[in-house]
Parts: sequence; C-alpha cells; structure tokens
Amino acid sequence: MNTIVRFKAPERLAHWLHFVAFTVLLGTGMFIYLPALRAFATGNAGEAARLAHRIAALVFMLSPIIYLVFSPREFFESLREMFKWGPDDFAWLRGAAAYYTYGRKAQLPPQGKYNAGQKLNALTQFIAFGVFVVTGLLMWFGKGAVPVGVFRWVVILHDLAVIATTSLFVLHLYLVGIHPLTRESITAMVEGSVSEAYAKEHHTLWLEQVRDQKKGAGE
Amino acid sequence: MTRMAMLIDTSKCTGCRGCQVACKQWWDLPETQTQQTGSYENPTDLSPQTWTRITFHEYESGGRFQWLFLKQGCLHCAEAACVDVCPTSALKHSDLGAVTLESDLCNGCGYCAQFCPFGIPRLETLNLFTGEAKATKCNFCQDRVPEGLKPACVKTCPPGALDWGERDAILEKARSRVEALKARGYAEVSLYGETEMGGLGRLYVLTAPPSAYGLPENPQYPASVPVWQEGVQPIGYGAVALTAVGLGLSWLIGRRMAAQDSSAKKEE
Repeated sequence: MNTIVRFKAPERLAHWLHFVAFTVLLGTGMFIYLPALRAFATGNAGEAARLAHRIAALVFMLSPIIYLVFSPREFFESLREMFKWGPDDFAWLRGAAAYYTYGRKAQLPPQGKYNAGQKLNALTQFIAFGVFVVTGLLMWFGKGAVPVGVFRWVVILHDLAVIATTSLFVLHLYLVGIHPLTRESITAMVEGSVSEAYAKEHHTLWLEQVRDQKKGAGE
Repeated sequence: MTRMAMLIDTSKCTGCRGCQVACKQWWDLPETQTQQTGSYENPTDLSPQTWTRITFHEYESGGRFQWLFLKQGCLHCAEAACVDVCPTSALKHSDLGAVTLESDLCNGCGYCAQFCPFGIPRLETLNLFTGEAKATKCNFCQDRVPEGLKPACVKTCPPGALDWGERDAILEKARSRVEALKARGYAEVSLYGETEMGGLGRLYVLTAPPSAYGLPENPQYPASVPVWQEGVQPIGYGAVALTAVGLGLSWLIGRRMAAQDSSAKKEE
C-alpha cells in the first residue's frame, strides 16, 4: 500500500509536546475551575499543581517555536492554509455533520491538505494560544502590576480560551481516535504518513498537488 | 446566628494606634521597619504583617480644619466579592457575619486582592515558580469572637472609638452618634457601611465625606464577578458536556449506519 508523507518529525514532535502540555494544563487548571476538584487546589497537591501548570505552560509556549525553527517551510505553509478560506470551505462545513454522522459524502467538496474543519480548529487554537500566552503571563507575573479592572477580565479571557479549546480538543480526540471514517488519520501524526486511499478520500486536492510536485521533481 | 459588627466612631479616635499594636500582639504579627514620611501615619500601608492601621488625613471645609483618622482594614461585606471568587473557599462568611480566612486552604491565587472593591487583602511574597502568594487580612478575630470576646482592637481602644456587638444594636448606636454630632455642628457627619456592599461589618461614623478618608463614595460589587462565576464557568461545563454528548450521539448513529451498510452488502 502506497503511503504519502503528511507530517515531518519536527512537526510531530511539536504536536505531541503541545498535546502533553495542553493535557497537563487542562488537568491542573480544572482544580480551580471545577468545584468538585477544589480540594486538590490546596496544600501539597495544590503546590504541585501550580508548579506543574507553570512548567507545562513553558512547554506549551515552546512547542510552536520548535515547529518554527526545525520546520519553517511547513510552519508558514500551515499558517497560510489556516487563513485561506473559500466558498468550498463553507460548503464543507455545512455538509460535515451529515457526513460524519450518516456517512453522506455527496455534499462535501474536495479538500486540500487541511479540510475546513481542521482549519477552523487550527485557527481557534492559534487565536486561543495568543490569549493563553498573554493572559497567562499576566496572571503569573503581572499580579499587582496590572490595574485590577484589567486583571478581572484577564482571568475571564483565560477561561473563555479554555472553553473554546477544550470543546475542540474533545472533538479532535473523537475524530482521530474513535470515529470509524477518520481514525486512520492518527497515523499521520504517529508515523508521519497516511495511505494514498485515505488521502484520496479526505484530501483529494492535496493528493493531486503532491503527485504534481513529484512529477515536476521527476522530470 | 446574629450578625456582629464593629462601630468605628472617627470623632472619638485620637490616632493613638493602640488597635494596630493590639492586632499585632494577638495575631503574633512581627513589627516591620518603618520610615518617616512626614506624617504620623505609620506604617504607610497594610501588609501581611499589618492587618489594620490608622490612616491620617487633613481636611478643611467651611473654614474648619479637621485631622481625620480612619481605621483601615477588611470591611466584612455581606456581598463579598472575595468570597465569591475564592476558588478554594479559604474565604468564607462565618455564622457571625465575618469574612474569615483559612490560610491552610488558601492556594495563593490572589484573586481576592484583585476583586476587593476596597483593595484590602495583601499577598505574601510571590513565589515565582509556583505563583503562590497567600492572602492576609483582618478576620474579625475569628478565634476570639465565637468565644464571646471582643476583637483585640476593640478591647484595647483607649478613647472608646471602637465598639462591638450585634449589628442591629451597633447600627442604633451609630445612628444616635450621627445625630449627636450633627447637633454639635458637624454638618458633614454621615454613617458609612449601612447599605454599602449589602451592608458592611464595619460601621463608620464619619465627620467628613468618605472620600476625605480615602474610602470609595460608592463602592461597587465588580461587574466581572457574575459574568465569570455565573456566566462563563457554567457555559464552560455546558459547552464541553454538549460537545461530548453530541459526539456520543454521532457515534451511535454512525455505528447503526455502518451496521446497515454491511448487512445490505451481505444481502447483495
């Protein structure tokens, strides 16, 4: 079976660092978000959680830098893709629920390397990343330095970013881990490549693009 | 239980700062290095070692000069923003109406200091690695009062400017003091704390406008608290729960469709 390279090693490393950091940040953050877990926010457990949250925050901020430094071409390519929206993307989003629930493929226009849903996820994560970094650093180092009127909304923004990213995180886990039509895609992030059949089914335009490039390189 | 309150009659306060000393003595708070700033006010701010202090203000109105003294410290709001934002319930309302603070439960997030409309809680030195800075403030002598004692500052006040008792009785006393002072020609005398923030645990008899003492004229419960506590947080539970339920349904329907597909193929 032919496979096509989808993510290079640095991209995968950055992704998994981001994944681990996000999971730790979410888990330790929940200690003061969910009333049921508040017992863990105090004493030694609280101390450990606070420290883990901050270490994970550093890893969280480091992961895109690894991506940028070791795979700059792909970094900017992905960034460009993320912001490129056309009528096909919106048509895809409209048809997505029917496809993922009932398997009706007809309404879905062919997609590039990233489908509209992946772009929407990436875009949200991108914006939320900025919010997390700015509000997080302010809460870490800016206590007392930032006017209280500002700080009060900083805390709320941090929470809103958590809600947006966590909802998408759950969806992401479902699609790559459970959903029968798409769970094959996890090999792209584990081994780095996907089968040609998968690429043809889900990223038709991308497959054509890759073939054209190969042809161009071969001649 | 009955809500208790402290009466602070600024017209009787001589600025002796006996209350500051009594507070430090009872709570075993160390003295701090102080400096001359041109005023008898000392130390210059509340701190983890100073939970109450007298602030000094010079005020002139209608050709009459007043040297104002205000006992600064936690005002024990009935509608306390600090209690509502505290993620570990270290800050609570006691049966007696005080806003108490359990240091063991405090995880040092500092939200109380950021949300207090009076800017009262002071944080201990920030640990940069864990971000921990535990809160400190007056707790209305949470160890003395339930035993029937008065707070240490009230007990010690030499001119009797401080009084302690059930809030209704203290409110009565405060009102009669306001009347008495008015009769003596204090035109700007007022009672502060009766309705502010749902009613304060400290009731001030002031002989000048609150702002002359550095008190906010109209303290407001921060608008961001209900947005956060009653809006954003429940939305969070809802959004993530809805996502999970939606995906669960999608999976169940998808599985049935797949089963139908395969049985249809078998029949062919």
